[in-house]
Amino acid sequence: MTALSVHILDEIRELPGKYPQPRSAVMPALDLAQEELGHLTPEAMTEVAAALELDPGYVEGVATFYSLFHLEPIGKHHFYVCTNLSCALRGANEIIDHVKQEIGVKEPDEVSVDGMFSYEEVECLGACEFAPMMRFEHRYHYDLTPAKIDQLIAASKGEKLLPTRGEVARSAGGAAEKPKPKPRTARKKKADA
Amino acid sequence: MPELRGSHGDSPTNVLTRWFGTPDLHTLDVYESKAGGYAALRKALLDMAPADITNEVKTSGLRGRGGAGFATGTKWSFINRDSPGPKYVVINADESEPGTSKDRYILENSPHMLVEGILIAAYAVGANQAWVYIRGEYDEPYRMLSAAIEEARAKGYVGPKPMGKDYPLDIRLYRGHGAYICGEETALLESLEGKRAQPRSRPPFPAVKGAWGRPTLLNNVETLVTVPWIINHGGAAYAKFGTDKSPGTRLMSVSGNVNKPGVYEVELGQTFRHVIMDLAGGIAGGHDLKVFWPGGSSAPVLPASMLDTKTDMESLAAARSMGGSGGVIVMDDQHCIVRAAYRLLKFYARESCGKCTPCRIGGDWAVRTYERILANEGSQVEIDTLLRVSDGLQNGRCLCGLGDSAGWVIDSTFRHFREEYEDHALRHECNVGKVATSA
Ligand SMILES: Cc1cc2nc3c(=O)[nH]c(=O)nc-3n(C[C@H](O)[C@H](O)[C@H](O)COP(=O)(O)O)c2cc1C
Ligand code: SF4
Ligand code: FES
Repeated sequence: MTALSVHILDEIRELPGKYPQPRSAVMPALDLAQEELGHLTPEAMTEVAAALELDPGYVEGVATFYSLFHLEPIGKHHFYVCTNLSCALRGANEIIDHVKQEIGVKEPDEVSVDGMFSYEEVECLGACEFAPMMRFEHRYHYDLTPAKIDQLIAASKGEKLLPTRGEVARSAGGAAEKPKPKPRTARKKKADA
Repeated sequence: MPELRGSHGDSPTNVLTRWFGTPDLHTLDVYESKAGGYAALRKALLDMAPADITNEVKTSGLRGRGGAGFATGTKWSFINRDSPGPKYVVINADESEPGTSKDRYILENSPHMLVEGILIAAYAVGANQAWVYIRGEYDEPYRMLSAAIEEARAKGYVGPKPMGKDYPLDIRLYRGHGAYICGEETALLESLEGKRAQPRSRPPFPAVKGAWGRPTLLNNVETLVTVPWIINHGGAAYAKFGTDKSPGTRLMSVSGNVNKPGVYEVELGQTFRHVIMDLAGGIAGGHDLKVFWPGGSSAPVLPASMLDTKTDMESLAAARSMGGSGGVIVMDDQHCIVRAAYRLLKFYARESCGKCTPCRIGGDWAVRTYERILANEGSQVEIDTLLRVSDGLQNGRCLCGLGDSAGWVIDSTFRHFREEYEDHALRHECNVGKVATSA
């Protein structure tokens, strides 16, 4: 069984021809892989390497260099919160605290129990006049406040059609598989209705 | 349309931002019909020889807006237009210097201005293909620039015969993936070639051996968007703005503790007092200015007493700083300089590409030292360590400017705020922190 679907691998094989030298295709190819799987698994990187006729170690070396490639699972919705100076001077650290509390994680890249959310602190995103700011769902969000974070979390949860793993575990009456940390996000249930 | 926080509209010094804020300026139709767009491209392709274009840019005195401030026309003339084989124009849209948001401001407001500037530059240096390296997090700017290029292609301005001239021109985009070092031009080229972004040693310079081993012109977004104006009005008209050695205007993104953060177009030679107190509305919350970074986090800091320093590159050099990327970070007297320096050192340590030892080791070492000081475990030893690390990072001991920048943060904050460092390291107290709770 392959990690990447046949049509993605076909698309990846087309990429090298678009550049003066085929190696330039490596990052666009990893993008396609990451888009399909959510993060880059070792198998996916091996398949990308094979499709591009590159050494798997080389591909992994590129993937590990760039922060937008995720080598571990992240939440379905990932907060990229800028904490560099201009944002820090306008309250970015309080925003981080709030995000952590609301999604119920302690560390960057830790995924919330329901698999929905994770966050990381990123460096300047080039929108310092709107500080504090972040990137979320391929968009920039400006002049952040705790209330804005709450709204985005609620809206993200509203989109989902299936119950999350955490909710299934909880509604089954047993303890969720991962008892810690406590899923604070459950508090926001009413926003789903 | 994205919210506009900064210069726009009619003002004698709004060279770049004159039409910003015009509804639908990002479309080819409005750019052309309202803002006179693509007239410069038409003039360049149909009425000017490539050497004339480069000369006009030389006459303007325009200097690169990416950070180093190199004379743009001179850089263009380094490309041997008649050498056989492909040549490239590569546009540095990787903007990630802390405190800098001007290229995003341009891309979101007037992407066609960049398309036009690129096409003129490519024709002038004898390239048929341009590549825009745009930072991966810029989703909206990427979409807008892609759409602008496709509109220009549909109109024939990008294609085999732009404006009917038998000179094929093409622009393609390449997305970055989150690494500050990709802004350094040779690291950018490595990245474009599908590698880890580690700077190359020079020579050879990109003009001789750049992208994929071919002669390459590398310019910043803002540098190239200035070109259409220069072609329309002449280099001499542009040189009337600003100072003798730093002509023109530049975009300064002002952020931090000001009332009106924004991207302001500033005639070079104006003072930082004008930029911070007038344009950006002064310090917020009734506090006082403590310090500012005049050209992105890599530019050595200037204390409030130097607010009358002028924005041109020579005045900044005399003040032992630099114009850098035009990002002005403003910090008020409620904030601690040691903590701010620590935050920036974490940035440089994290973004070091690891190729040279002083930068790879020094950055982490400085971070750990700051942590000890901020945990009230400091002493004279920690101060000495910071200064030694700072020295080790500077003066050509590293392959690229990232190392120097990290050193300058330590060096310049210590130079101007020695007492605050000593309060922290020797007396274990933050005299700012004590009154900072409300801020
Ligand atoms: C660590 C480092 C980061 C840089 N980041 C950028 C950047 O984000 N954007 C940019 O245009 N130039 C950046 N530069 C400057 C480029 O190396 C280069 O000088 C510039 O893009 C050339 O274009 P210009 O002549 O039009 O300014 C950086 C330089 C260094 C050393
Ligand atoms: S100074 Fe730092 S970022 Fe620059 S090449 Fe050396 S290790 Fe890499
Ligand atoms: S410091 Fe946060 S966007 Fe620049």
